[in-house]
Amino acid sequence: MKKTIINIILVLITFIIYFLQSNFFSWFTIAGIMPNVFIILVLFIGLFASRTMGTAYGAAIGLFLDFTIGSRVGIYAVSLGIIGFLAGVFDKNFSKDSRMTIMVMVLGATAVFEILNYVLNYIFLEINIEIFNFIKILIAEIIYNLIITIIVYPLIQEFGYYIENEYKGNKILTRYF
Amino acid sequence: MYKNKKSGIIGIIITIIILILIVIFSNGEKNSSFFENVASNLVMPIQNGLTYLKNKIGGNNTFFTDISNLKEENSKLKQQNSELEQSLRELENIKTQNETLKEYLNLTEKYGEYKTIPGYVINKDISNYSKTIIINIGKDDGVKENMTVIADKGLVGHVISVTKNTAKVQTIIDTASSISCTMSTTKDAIVCKGTLDGQSVLKAMYIPTDKNIIQGDSIETSGLGGIYPKGIHIGTVKKVSNTQNITDRNALIETAVDFDKLDTVLVVTNK
Repeated sequence: MKKTIINIILVLITFIIYFLQSNFFSWFTIAGIMPNVFIILVLFIGLFASRTMGTAYGAAIGLFLDFTIGSRVGIYAVSLGIIGFLAGVFDKNFSKDSRMTIMVMVLGATAVFEILNYVLNYIFLEINIEIFNFIKILIAEIIYNLIITIIVYPLIQEFGYYIENEYKGNKILTRYF
Repeated sequence: MYKNKKSGIIGIIITIIILILIVIFSNGEKNSSFFENVASNLVMPIQNGLTYLKNKIGGNNTFFTDISNLKEENSKLKQQNSELEQSLRELENIKTQNETLKEYLNLTEKYGEYKTIPGYVINKDISNYSKTIIINIGKDDGVKENMTVIADKGLVGHVISVTKNTAKVQTIIDTASSISCTMSTTKDAIVCKGTLDGQSVLKAMYIPTDKNIIQGDSIETSGLGGIYPKGIHIGTVKKVSNTQNITDRNALIETAVDFDKLDTVLVVTNK
């Protein structure tokens, strides 16, 4: 029952982020660069719920984005799915109790997502490569994402441990012994 | 702990996703329209409302501009107006001359009148690397794939997929877009590609060194390639730069349409 409620809330959050991303952040930019909050969301699901759920949510959200705004079906699905999987790997290897590690994870996930997305775009849409501009945009986007992470960190922490209790049982302490 | 059961589920889910992707990829984009319809129907009503709200709020920012700026702008505009009137008169002369010449040559007006449908931009791609937009008219309004989309100042892009009441438009500044165009004075053919650099810059590539390219020259579509009709204004040449080899050059082209502030577009329904 609780799991159903958590899932409904997560879907609702997805929709809220979708409208935020397409209406608010397309206008509220850093030097014309938008953040990508979906990366943070998928990372957070994979980190606190489970690797399976992260991958599944990543792929599902990605497919939804592909159908609504992407130019080729599959690109967002694959890259967000991999972020969900990566979050599971992060969860196994790092502690998520400090703000610093979460920020480093967001940095890594954003870089992986964007590079993967760019490579997939290059393969399927035959764009011409501009390394310098790409890195410029990537750095700005990472900074923006980090700022958002700092802002929503308490929320992530609160809701995250609630989900973790539900999905993994109350094993937070025992895991480290 | 719960590894065995979980890894089995992971395997099944990944397999299903890969299967779906393979089916969709191998069948082109035909199969996806059903899902696109579902997804767009899900978000369309809220999206429309939010866009309306945003336009309302966005329209009010002129309230804060101060009067001295306005005065300065006014005098500048007056000067520009007189200059424009002069060039308009010159153009009218050229137009009449052109018409008589055409009559001599027995050319009919091939691209004289476009039938267009107006639409609003309701959404933009969330990625910083691709610049597709979504407009609020679709199959029900008569929009089809590969139709040309223009704005009042010039070319915007072409439709890449349609649902019942929305359409996805790939803009000309998207990095995946390349257009065949001509320079209006010399009639030389060039290829313009989208770049990551800014919201209103195209890169013209492979211009042979023996061809003339003039700064400030206006660029139009050439009609080659079958998607865009001939003679639609794209922008003006901003800067010419040399590449490392001696056979060709690059140029930057500033688009006539400001994609940051783009909100109304026209879809050309006949070519």
